[in-house]
Amino acid sequence: MTRMTRRALIASAALGALLGTAACNVDQGNTTASPAGATGGASSAPPKALKVGWSTIYLAPSWMQQTLRMLEEDVAKLKAEGKVASYETFNANGDTSQQIAQIQAMITQKYDVILVDAGSSTALNPVMEKAVAAGIVVANFDSLVTSEKVIRVGTDQVEWGRMTAQWLADKLGGKGEIIAMNGPAGVSVSEERWKGAEEVFKKYPDIKIAANVHSEYNLAPAAQAFASAYSAHPSITGVFSQGGALSAAALQTLVKQDKKLVPITGENYNGFLKLWADKRKDGFSSIATAQPNYLSVIALRAAVAKAAGTAVPSTITVPLPKITDENLDQYVKPDQPDDSYPIQPIPQSEIDKLLGA
Amino acid sequence: MRNRLDLLGLCALLAVVLIAYQRLDPTLLHPSTITILSAQFLPLILAAAGQTIVMLTGGIDLSLGAVLSLGMAVFVIYPPDAPGGVVAAMALALAVTMLAGAANGVLVAYAGLPPIIVTLAASFLWGGVTLIVLPQPGGHVPEGLVRAYNFGWYGLALPAVAIGVALGLWKLIKTTHFGLALYAVGGNEHGAYANGIDTRRVKIYAYGFAGLFTGLAGIGLAIQTGSGDPTIGVPYTLNSIAVAVLGGISFFGGVGQMRGTLLGALLLGLLTNLLLFTGISTFYQMILQGVVLIVAVAVKTLATRKAVA
Repeated sequence: MTRMTRRALIASAALGALLGTAACNVDQGNTTASPAGATGGASSAPPKALKVGWSTIYLAPSWMQQTLRMLEEDVAKLKAEGKVASYETFNANGDTSQQIAQIQAMITQKYDVILVDAGSSTALNPVMEKAVAAGIVVANFDSLVTSEKVIRVGTDQVEWGRMTAQWLADKLGGKGEIIAMNGPAGVSVSEERWKGAEEVFKKYPDIKIAANVHSEYNLAPAAQAFASAYSAHPSITGVFSQGGALSAAALQTLVKQDKKLVPITGENYNGFLKLWADKRKDGFSSIATAQPNYLSVIALRAAVAKAAGTAVPSTITVPLPKITDENLDQYVKPDQPDDSYPIQPIPQSEIDKLLGA
Repeated sequence: MRNRLDLLGLCALLAVVLIAYQRLDPTLLHPSTITILSAQFLPLILAAAGQTIVMLTGGIDLSLGAVLSLGMAVFVIYPPDAPGGVVAAMALALAVTMLAGAANGVLVAYAGLPPIIVTLAASFLWGGVTLIVLPQPGGHVPEGLVRAYNFGWYGLALPAVAIGVALGLWKLIKTTHFGLALYAVGGNEHGAYANGIDTRRVKIYAYGFAGLFTGLAGIGLAIQTGSGDPTIGVPYTLNSIAVAVLGGISFFGGVGQMRGTLLGALLLGLLTNLLLFTGISTFYQMILQGVVLIVAVAVKTLATRKAVA
């Protein structure tokens, strides 16, 4: 009995020690403000430096890593200007409930600005609105929520489909036979991009959609899906694709089978851009757009402006970049891995325009 | 006696975490903080309670997250102006999740299939059904209910009360013939059968009750988030297993207490929050969670091992 108790105590002591070491292992380079109690009492003085946090549903994908790097660069600038005091990233790793806990923890810790890349379009609404009610500026970007009480920074996914489909229709001279490569059924991004594309194709009765393929935004399943659709419709004259991995899969299949390189719409997925640059001399032509990583920077700038008392629009729609045969060389990064998303930085003047300054 | 020791260890650990927590968030014991924390932990506590019941039979439920989302979806699509309103929506959701649980139980008990396979298959099945019921996030939850749950109701921490009621319900269930038989079947199925216990029926009931608690967790999550989301439940499958293991529930069945699961859920939840306060990188948080679990299981195994002469 006594031995048992001792064991239980030793175990809890060991775990306690573990906790202690973990708690001391705080990220480098973060000035963690004294917990709770540091209230912004600076009236009339210049606006105080802000405590900023970003809660994201994923951090592992390369697009998110790039977004994080861009955001951290901008935070460094704002720290130098004395506008931001501290910055923290919270990764929910796919667990929306964990994201709610993160935002709640930021409210408890009296953050001034909370950035959110949402894991659910609805589930975060109550906790975000709670943050707003507590006087915190909340800015949501990339994966958007339905709440209208927060700043939302995104792109128009319907326009994405519309713009790229229009290019294809023009390229085909308004007639031909195409395969449509879409994302998974039931995923809102995929549905919206296709909605925009369908609008365009309805105007051209002579463009026949031979097959509408759904696959994950991943090279392997997309290649399989395209190959089977292509073997059934080898006479196609173009491909509408709504994602870079899907475009790369389609183009790779045509190259491998040594077939005619028909126009394929794309995205700034570097694997696709490299292949496009390589096959341009063989007459391959495309248009690509992007979900720009600088959405995060615009969200941060909007939140900082709002925290300083400047009026900013609550919905900010960022224009989609256009990558064409002509400006492709400015984007493609031959030395970077396939799984990266090259993008041109956005000039400050553009950001100011979007913020209504 | 042994169970008491396990719980003592957990309590000691929880005390350590609470003291650390109090230092980082001095409002820990204020009613508003208790409301916030219980609102946050309720879905996990109830999901882990469901997982515990299945684990007591010696099984494991990999469909828990999918069934949780299903209950949530059914609850939020029931029209608020239809007869019975929110109460009918709850009843309907719970009926669906109990049936989903019982279906697992039937396959395990009568077809003799391994629980891990049955519930894995069920997770795909119910995942698909949930997407048909609720193709994208949305649905309806009464505004007043969302506010009362998240902000308290006349100063009362409603989620904490709900957790108390749910666990009280389990205490009642445990005193019944079924409750006694559950531990007997989990501990020694053949022995239980030889003693005249209808082991199959006990298993089906157990999986059905697990479905009930999972459904309650789904309703709680819907009220917490003010909406339904067809994919939000997935992480609850593994989290509920982690909590049950931490709470001292054995994978081999028949050993463990619901009290332990509750302590395990509080421990894991508070620990996660604590790490959020310290600003430690999330990748370290994941490592730490793994370490805590392994240590918990190791301590349990060492403590139960007979002393070698």
